Amino acid sequence: MGIEEAIAHIPRLRRYARLLTGDAARADDLVQDTLERACRKWSLWRPHVASRSGDPLRGWLLTLMHHLHLNQRRDYRYDDGHDEIDVLNEPQHEPLAVAADRLDLERALQGLPASQREVLLLVTVEDLSYAEVARVLDIPIGTVMSRLSRAREHLRLSMSGAAPVAPRTPLKVVK
Amino acid sequence: MSETRPPGTSVDPANVREEDLHAFVDGRLAPSAAAAVAAWLSARPEAAARVAAWQSQRAGLQSLHVGLLNESAPLAMTSDLRRPRHQWFAGLAASLLAGVALGWALHANTSGASREAGLFAHSAPVFVRDAAAAHAVYVPERRHPVEVGASEQEHLLQWLSKRLGAPLRAPDFRTEGYELVGGRLLPGRSGEARAQFMYQSGAGERLTLYISVFPEGAAPAPASFSYAHEGDLQSFYWIDGRQGCALTGTVPREKLAALARKAYEQTAS
Repeated sequence: MGIEEAIAHIPRLRRYARLLTGDAARADDLVQDTLERACRKWSLWRPHVASRSGDPLRGWLLTLMHHLHLNQRRDYRYDDGHDEIDVLNEPQHEPLAVAADRLDLERALQGLPASQREVLLLVTVEDLSYAEVARVLDIPIGTVMSRLSRAREHLRLSMSGAAPVAPRTPLKVVK
Repeated sequence: MSETRPPGTSVDPANVREEDLHAFVDGRLAPSAAAAVAAWLSARPEAAARVAAWQSQRAGLQSLHVGLLNESAPLAMTSDLRRPRHQWFAGLAASLLAGVALGWALHANTSGASREAGLFAHSAPVFVRDAAAAHAVYVPERRHPVEVGASEQEHLLQWLSKRLGAPLRAPDFRTEGYELVGGRLLPGRSGEARAQFMYQSGAGERLTLYISVFPEGAAPAPASFSYAHEGDLQSFYWIDGRQGCALTGTVPREKLAALARKAYEQTAS
């Protein structure tokens, strides 16, 4: 084991946190807290030798991040990720050239309940297997599949016809 | 949705479930199963449109913030690791990654979670604890144990002497079977420069000599050899003029003491 092994995970953790929180500063805070917690809990870490695929260290870091994010949501009273305030306050500091549909997608993503967003990001962006997602989030695989399904449909309806995202009424097509 | 099959293992062409469609989008199906789903979709335009939308979502999500993957971690992340509640990390070699490595090193060197509080008696000077931390971080390092190797010894000594503000010497332990590997610059708790030299025996055992140069008038009282240890890791340290030195390793105590004496004789100002 060497320092390089941990370095390799930081960029991915930052991107994942960025998409999870929808905010650059909060994302980096989350990554930092995750790494601090990892430092303190290192002696408790036992790699899953049994896990066939994936990197056990990465899975563990994602699990730590999940718990921290969950606590933050509770602290901020984000009731299951109703991140309406975030969506409204999210500064549009992306460079001008960013395609409009990418912004739409990002906004729609932030409109998802956090529990669905987490599953969707772990499956697509982190490319974890359904079983790994279940392990990271400590939920049954059936719950992974149902959240994934709801997230995808929610996102599809949000994006269809470039309808503006309505975070509070996620499943209605506007107009 | 039926619960009989785990998602993605196989597909019943007569009964394609929602989970199969997700597994299809996520590339989790075996080629034959994927072909069965594709055939099923070709006869169902509505489902096919839904799946196509999911596929483009997947690609779109993967393209978001990809720039972060090529960015190095912000330095701000590292400074917070020095908050007082992490006393043990406080003086540690600056980076966040060093912190991670420390976790590893501690895990490798000791067992037991009480390590954080118990490492080196608190009666030992701060720089000795810093020396032990730096030892734990860099000694397990295979590829980058030092910043400047022994092959550039002259440059190494000039550089570290300049940064620490005092002429440094790297003791010669070759008669004891230890070769100089090289050295590195480290930050002290107030951002002052510190130096670490690393030595290695033919058997691959490593020692570090950590040097702190105290500001004029702020040096602790001179001290002859003192000893601190935690588990297998032990240090002999001394303070001579403005310089505090700690020789740290896991070799037997008598051997380490002999090496420390040798180091003192060679570096005494």
